[in-house]
Amino acid sequence: MADFLNAYSIQNWLESCPQAYLEDTVFGHSSDEHEPDLIMENEVLRHDAIRTTVALVVGERCALAASSGLINAAPDEGSKRFLATQTLDEARHVEVFTQRLYDLGVAKEDLESVIAQHANPNLVKFAELLLEKVDKRDFLAGVVGQNIVLEGMAFSVFEMMHVMNAAMNPKFAHTLQGTIADERRHVGFGENRIGSLVRDNPARKPEIEKMQKEMSYWMLATFSQAFRDTSAVDELERIGQERTHSNYQGADLGKLSTNEMEALLGDTVLKEFKVRLGRIGLDYQSPDRP
Amino acid sequence: MSDAKRRPPHDTIRPELHDLDKSAFLEEVHSFEFWFQAVEGYLAETTYGHDPEMAEDPLSDEDRERLIGVLCNYCAGESAALETAAGLVSLAPNRMTKVFLSTQVADEGRHLEVFLHRLGELGVENPESEVAKRASPSMLAFKDKLAELVAGRDWASALFAQNVALESLEFVVFGRHAKTADRVTAQILERVVKDERRHMGFGENELGRYLRDTPDSRSRIHDLRVELDHLVDATLADTVRHLGLPADDQKELGRMYRESIERLGLLG
Repeated sequence: MADFLNAYSIQNWLESCPQAYLEDTVFGHSSDEHEPDLIMENEVLRHDAIRTTVALVVGERCALAASSGLINAAPDEGSKRFLATQTLDEARHVEVFTQRLYDLGVAKEDLESVIAQHANPNLVKFAELLLEKVDKRDFLAGVVGQNIVLEGMAFSVFEMMHVMNAAMNPKFAHTLQGTIADERRHVGFGENRIGSLVRDNPARKPEIEKMQKEMSYWMLATFSQAFRDTSAVDELERIGQERTHSNYQGADLGKLSTNEMEALLGDTVLKEFKVRLGRIGLDYQSPDRP
Repeated sequence: MSDAKRRPPHDTIRPELHDLDKSAFLEEVHSFEFWFQAVEGYLAETTYGHDPEMAEDPLSDEDRERLIGVLCNYCAGESAALETAAGLVSLAPNRMTKVFLSTQVADEGRHLEVFLHRLGELGVENPESEVAKRASPSMLAFKDKLAELVAGRDWASALFAQNVALESLEFVVFGRHAKTADRVTAQILERVVKDERRHMGFGENELGRYLRDTPDSRSRIHDLRVELDHLVDATLADTVRHLGLPADDQKELGRMYRESIERLGLLG
């Protein structure tokens, strides 16, 4: 285990993150990039961007609370040190997405009320399930919930958003690019660290698989509400702005309805869960459909 | 929500720190971005906290053993600091303090890592078990006290014990040790001290505001300070003995430690 943890050292983190892909960035993107006029000058699109970004802030606040809480539950120093870097990554994500809310015109004094107004209640349920495990200092369940389920979800959501924004909003796409690189590292740690713990604690498998099933349900409910609430697609059509024809998982996002996008994202994340859970010796449980 | 359509603030030249109003100043100095700029300056080109090309000073067996003992104690302190800073993230009252404490979590993790790595460079085969064997009882008692305060979810007390008491103790000890240490250890310590200064500043400012806003809490923090004093003194005595410093140094280090406490008006 010690050798594998060397790859997750703070020294490695310094070399691969602040001294590499974050170099010369400000809040995750180049300092000369800004939100496009298309969003800033259209109230519907701007409000939609705010609502979407609030979901990212809520998710990252949960990840920050979980990763910092797991440090005190970790059974070894190497895992604690990796989680220290993850804590800082998650804090950075909270910061860059909060900054995006400011960039979109949210006044600093209104930040918390805007987040409370737009927070997706299903995502809040999802977060509560995870933080309950962290509060109990349950390292095994906490890391599966955080580094496999939450991070796996974030990874796919960020990837889809990155593809959608690459041409239309390079500033946001660059911010997402850095967070995707972080999430990849977090998922990798989860897979590598947890496999041996699952093998050593086989009696805990059913309980953790149940947690995965419940978290997956709330994740799908989050997607369902998020796509139901979005008004961006209709608004782009109304103003005659062609949607970006970007490829995600073999589909042209510019041609899909919001329902089809929701189904594609949900299926992609669940497929990834199945593969990742299999790697650590857990049996994927299909969630109920909301 | 303001409907004002604003360009991002970073589209323009970022203002000087001291031109910012109070809340913008706090937002800036507690941010990841601020931390990032700070550590980039002194961690660039280093590996495990020092210049990888730097040659080792020759150490006698006695000096090497002494250094290993001291570093084991530093590791115990940094391990306590890592766990406490992580626990403080969930107790912190707002986003900015949570973000700052996250940078501190990474700093403390780095300190633990560079000291463990240094033990490896000095020939210790299993640094973590060596730390478990050699850490001084006073430092372990300090660690237990910190864990108790975090578990009790007492933000101000845990912040005082960690960011004022422990950080001040480490600041004076590491600073003193850096003056007499071998070159590699000195480089590591000098960079750790830069982090500690940032943590102490945060602790003093946050706690200073807290004590101003909730004057009734002053006596509780004062009592905690008195309780921690004997642990601080015992830890200083252990460190002075491990480092082979003259006994007068303990008084001097104790005086420097108490200066931090005095700034908060908690002496006496």
